[in-house]
Amino acid sequence: MSEDYKLAFADDLGFCNILLSAIGGDGANMAAKMLFKLGVLEVGLDGGYDAKYGSEKKGTPTDVSVRFCKAGTAVRAVGPTTRAHILVVFHESLIRPLALNKGLYANAIVIVNSTKSPEEVRDILELNSGRVICLDASKIAEETHSRLNMPMLAMLCNVLSFPAKVVEEAVKKQWPRAAEANVAAFRAAVSTAKEAQFGADGKYPLVEFSESRGGLGFLNMLPGGRIDALKHSTVERDNAEGRLGPNPIFDAEECTSCGMCLTVCPDPGAIVWKEKKMTGIDSKFCKSCMRCVEICPRTGRALRDPHKKEEAKETTVAGEKK
Amino acid sequence: MAKAAVIEKPKTKASKPQTVWIGNGNEAVARAIIQIGYDGEGYYPITPSSDAGEAVSKAFAAGETDIAFVPLTSELAAISACAGMAIAGGRVVDVTSANGLLLKIEEMPAISGLALPMVLNLSTRDVSAPLNIKNGHSDLAACLGMGWMILCAPTVQATYDMNILALKVAEAVNLPAIVAYDGFHTSHANRRIEIFAEKEDVREFLGEKPKGTTIFDVENPHTFGPYMNDDLINTKVQIDAKMARAYEVLPGIFEEYAKWSGREYGFVERYGADDAEVVMVMINTGGETAKDAVDRLVGRGEKVAVVIPKVLRPFPEKELVEAVAGARTILVGERVSQYGASNYLANELGAALQRVGTKAEIIQRTYGVGGLTLTSEDAEKLFEIAQGWPNLDDADEQKRKWYYGAWPGDIDYTPAVKIEAATGEDKSLNIGAEKVNLRELSQMPIRFEKHAACPGCGIFVNLNLFLRGIDGPVVVFFNTGCGMVVTTGYPYTTFKVPYFHNLFHNASSTATGVVEMYKRFRAQGKLSKEITFIAISGDGGTDIGMDQVIGAALRNDPFILLEYDNKGYMNTGAQMCYTGIKGQRNSNAHIGPQQKGKTTHHKDVIEILRGTNCSYLFQAAESNAVDMIRKARKAQQTVRDGGFAFGKLWSVCPLNWGMKESNGPASVKAAVDSCLFPLYEIEKGITTLNYDPEKRKKKVPVTDAFKLMGAGFAHMMKPDFAEIVADVQGEVDRRWARLKAKAENEIL
Repeated sequence: MSEDYKLAFADDLGFCNILLSAIGGDGANMAAKMLFKLGVLEVGLDGGYDAKYGSEKKGTPTDVSVRFCKAGTAVRAVGPTTRAHILVVFHESLIRPLALNKGLYANAIVIVNSTKSPEEVRDILELNSGRVICLDASKIAEETHSRLNMPMLAMLCNVLSFPAKVVEEAVKKQWPRAAEANVAAFRAAVSTAKEAQFGADGKYPLVEFSESRGGLGFLNMLPGGRIDALKHSTVERDNAEGRLGPNPIFDAEECTSCGMCLTVCPDPGAIVWKEKKMTGIDSKFCKSCMRCVEICPRTGRALRDPHKKEEAKETTVAGEKK
Repeated sequence: MAKAAVIEKPKTKASKPQTVWIGNGNEAVARAIIQIGYDGEGYYPITPSSDAGEAVSKAFAAGETDIAFVPLTSELAAISACAGMAIAGGRVVDVTSANGLLLKIEEMPAISGLALPMVLNLSTRDVSAPLNIKNGHSDLAACLGMGWMILCAPTVQATYDMNILALKVAEAVNLPAIVAYDGFHTSHANRRIEIFAEKEDVREFLGEKPKGTTIFDVENPHTFGPYMNDDLINTKVQIDAKMARAYEVLPGIFEEYAKWSGREYGFVERYGADDAEVVMVMINTGGETAKDAVDRLVGRGEKVAVVIPKVLRPFPEKELVEAVAGARTILVGERVSQYGASNYLANELGAALQRVGTKAEIIQRTYGVGGLTLTSEDAEKLFEIAQGWPNLDDADEQKRKWYYGAWPGDIDYTPAVKIEAATGEDKSLNIGAEKVNLRELSQMPIRFEKHAACPGCGIFVNLNLFLRGIDGPVVVFFNTGCGMVVTTGYPYTTFKVPYFHNLFHNASSTATGVVEMYKRFRAQGKLSKEITFIAISGDGGTDIGMDQVIGAALRNDPFILLEYDNKGYMNTGAQMCYTGIKGQRNSNAHIGPQQKGKTTHHKDVIEILRGTNCSYLFQAAESNAVDMIRKARKAQQTVRDGGFAFGKLWSVCPLNWGMKESNGPASVKAAVDSCLFPLYEIEKGITTLNYDPEKRKKKVPVTDAFKLMGAGFAHMMKPDFAEIVADVQGEVDRRWARLKAKAENEIL
């Protein structure tokens, strides 16, 4: 296997760098670890699998990277790659906020979970050049009863030309109880993906990797690293990123403003009250845990889970009906 | 190339079979621990070393090792248990990081002073305020003078190997040894490495633990750890002599290990041009990464090299001097700063060079602290600085000691005020109010918002509800834990009230300090506002911090202490804490042939605190919101009257319990209805049941709660857990019966 396998990319140190951008809970770490094991044990490569770690919670962006090199190459660097040849994006919505084009090589391969066309995704990413592959991995995962990480891993193994049979066997062995679902997801991913190639047409420049640093540094940071809460509040953050899906649907006419929803809500501000009356859900605060729907004495009417099949009425921020 | 250097690609062929293994640095530590066959491991979780212990615990549950794996209540407790195991003649090991090391540091010179050989794995991390959980070497630097040997592992491979080497030398000279590897960079980096195929070979290499005098020797009893006066100086001479002995035996141990494993180690590794004019000295991953920079620079004809010390104690002075010989400029890069002085490695190297009369320039850069990754491009820039020295343009770079990777900020940056403080002074809906009207309480000010907790997090359900029952200005204290890490992230904060996080186990004592000054300044007429102080703990904070909680309760200090009971160290990866339920699956209490999850019943913290006779104790849950508000009001009145109030709040963790977020409210109700979490209060010793599921004919079996509590409890429904579940049910019923008796009899 190892003799005839050739890495599609290599930087000056001999590494092909793969970056996976996902959200905590997506299983990107698990997919990357699987990919790394496949590369080493089945394809005969060496390299490293590293991730950017913080606190462990659902819904926050994570960087995971796999670097492959030929066996015998010294593996020295640590931490996720900042210069990727292959970028795998688990949610198209991550591209803009994280500026995922930063550090990408020319002629990169980009795999994105998206219902959009490769052309549209290229523009969102502002990709200099390369091959864009789009697949509706969320739908595939749902339909095959697999997880989001499986179609993404499938596509990644495909572009790396890892032999499909070997990959499938390894996946079956790793998760025997989900073997059928995962294999179905693998096949659906490869057969439904759409792709397009973009030359360096001058539309978007190459963007070098850089850490974004705020305006505070050692000259003007407050002593002791304390925070002036009135000026540096998280209030402008959008909790919609990484939430569990669409917000509960609220119907003001059905609501008696009993206040039960307030007693179970973990995100103050998500349930909007004005003058002792509940007026709606603020999507910038709400993470869609559906606790309020569960506790609502008029559940299904005043508050509804959009995943459940009742007829949905549209609400806007602060709950004013369209 | 200097003699001390070790070549990168070893020539020695392994005499014992080696096998390819894939895993991260922590898992490599665990692999070594299991293969070595230690007698015991004292354990306390701390990021980023936690999963080194978790993997051992998992192997124990699976029956792969028979080690005495003991999760304790703090880092000091963990290493003290190790000292006990060692004095009993056991072969023992521990893992830690950062604050964990600093908490156990009192025991460090005790263990070396007692001549107990053991191994402490240090997954290095910065120690600081503001809190940072990522890599830095400030923990390592704090224990340079503790009489412990220190081996530095730059890679996952070395982390495995040095665990074996460290124990070998420790037992050869009767001194403890640290294996320091980089937190996250190595602890969480997955690599392909080689390990001994057979654990028997590892055990044969190490041999039996040398027999010594132990605490079990009743025929010839010894007094360990006596009081000592003038003679103490002689113990120091002994420790130094053992260090000298370690320096003598280590080369032989390295050589023997190379024959067995095929992997070569030495005191120092040197990589680069033989005639290097500029040499960079760095330990661990920094040095390893710098080799890539050396390859590029040497490829361009530059005369540079990197020197990587692998042993810091005993300090390999001769080998280091040889390795940097011929250099004009030496840049010592350290992941630590000795503020107000030169950094330690630069100092020690400088002194060594002075003794041999070398006149090389030594400059020093602190780099990579707080988790900043050093890339090979960064290493190239550091070489450039050293090559350019002393003719550098930038005034800061002209400093002999400076920082790499710090930034000045924009002094014209003037952020605007975005929010109003939640003073709570415009609303007084609780004090004096008879009834609880939830609709009315919707008007209470929001004291925190836009935190980054997981969807459906129980911590913030509880705080959101409880704080609606508190009037007026509030100051909050947080223990380190999930509640803390998801609410602040520099430069942003969730809080609209004053907030103080001061480490993990000490929020209660921190609050005591503040309320003492509050009382004093109010008495002096310097402070007119009436403020309510609330300390918030959880994630094991009342395990490690229990003595300080009891202290605050005994003094009856006027503040509210809340424990969000989420049944584990949920911020560090769901390790067991004592509030967890017997049989519960934790990352350090696994399920397998040899173990069935947590082995003990859930801690009854209210009953522990009952004995302090403090003013107010209570348990409350979101399922009974009116009761929770009533208790918040009572707690506030208690502290206004000068007493201490402690409340335990049942707090779901959808992430680590593996529970569906929307099941939160129903699962809490089941926990309350099953009497797993009874709602009651103790006011000045008098117990009142606030909700009696029996009387209301709502009492359900504990399994009704487990069913809703997610995958972490789902196994409890399986037949082989029937006995454990029956035991839990029995304990819950017994506690409930006792509680009813106490509620019925004032004198109890």
